[in-house]
Amino acid sequence: MKHEPWRWLAPALLLMSGAAAAETGYTLQLTDLKAKPFLDADTLTKLPEKTEVEIVLRQGPWMQVKTKSKQLGYVRMLQLRLGSTPTAKDSNGWVSVLGPGATSPRPSSTTVTMTGGVRGFSEEELKASKPNKAEYDKMKTFTATPEQAAAQAANSKLAARTLPYYGEDGKPLKDQGGKK
Amino acid sequence: MRPLHALGILLSLVLVTLLVACANGGKGGLNLQSVDINQLVQNVKGLREVSEPEEIQIGDGVTETLLGARPLQDDVELQRYVNVVGLWVARQSERPNLPWHFAVNDSDYINAFATPGGNIVITKGMIRVLHNESELAGVIGHEVSHVVRKHHLNAIRKNSAFGLLMQGVQAGTGNRSQDVVNALAGPTKELYARGLDKSDEFEADRMGVVIAARAGYDPWGLPAALQTLAGVNPDDDYVKLLFKTHPAPSARLEKLAVALGTNFDSVTGGPQSNDQFLRITERVRAVAAK
Repeated sequence: MKHEPWRWLAPALLLMSGAAAAETGYTLQLTDLKAKPFLDADTLTKLPEKTEVEIVLRQGPWMQVKTKSKQLGYVRMLQLRLGSTPTAKDSNGWVSVLGPGATSPRPSSTTVTMTGGVRGFSEEELKASKPNKAEYDKMKTFTATPEQAAAQAANSKLAARTLPYYGEDGKPLKDQGGKK
Repeated sequence: MRPLHALGILLSLVLVTLLVACANGGKGGLNLQSVDINQLVQNVKGLREVSEPEEIQIGDGVTETLLGARPLQDDVELQRYVNVVGLWVARQSERPNLPWHFAVNDSDYINAFATPGGNIVITKGMIRVLHNESELAGVIGHEVSHVVRKHHLNAIRKNSAFGLLMQGVQAGTGNRSQDVVNALAGPTKELYARGLDKSDEFEADRMGVVIAARAGYDPWGLPAALQTLAGVNPDDDYVKLLFKTHPAPSARLEKLAVALGTNFDSVTGGPQSNDQFLRITERVRAVAAK
């Protein structure tokens, strides 16, 4: 797909609690639809592979979804893929590269049209690059201090915590994990 | 670099140097007097560990080439915001004291790049597809992990011109050397068009989740961002370079599903409010290329 200006007129995606409403997804395999976002919650039903659902919101590793029969429940986020099922994919079945904010999540926003060319970062553009010292110097003027970073985190109620890394098999790593 | 590989190159260098010496000696015998020991030492130095100041200098050169392909997004508030969020995330890594710099470039294409020494460039197109600050922190965590594990530095070290490059870096450390920047342009373009080993990307995903979670964010931000990318048409120009240089998002999600399992089910997080992210990123999400 090339740069068709009409793609900037993608339907508005409303943002709710970190997930875009009106996004669709489908199950990768037979998946439990849970009553609550917990592994030991009641299973409402089992959704077959490639069941299309509407995504209501994301909550940690869970997605609250609505089935075509309007049943609400939770499925593991990683058991879903966004967009339409592969066989049903057409030009509208993919996630818009313009993303959730292609139009503003706020109702008052106006639709934006693209009036110029797309600014790419293709392999060709990378290979044609000439080092740009002025931009590099400018980048450095935006540097944050550790104090600013910590103050902003505190303001957002983000607290640092100690967590280990995990290996491919899901087991905690000892050598490079555990401590900061 | 694997020890055997390094040893092979070292032996090759010694052999070439001796052959050159023989040729120069001209009398048929081995003339050790004419072996340029200094040159040999310089070449061998190309195989040693790179010091942190040298790594930073290499990373700065790489960054100049990345920003040469597409300049910074003209948005001071956004640039300061990604630096504050980015530094907070990077401070939770094993290399908290690097001179971390973060930048959003003026590209509609979806991508993000890390350089040795702690420079991270995120495209405007990437910012646009993120839903919230936890997803941004996850993407940053992935890039920070590349720096922590020196993935790009080690890839650049495998470049055949690395020995020569290091001589310039050594001479230039402490002072900015345009020669080093120029010498890095070729290897930078080659590496960032080719990408890292897939195993490096999978590792950066696993570590990125943890680093963002250490910073207090929702650990599922990076998987959520990957889930968005997994739904993008891979034929789209916007993701072509990203998809060429990384494993497919669906493959990354499958690996993460195994590595994360239920390890983070009790780890919640995220900023208290998403208002700041939405407000600051609104301009790049709502305003198209002029």
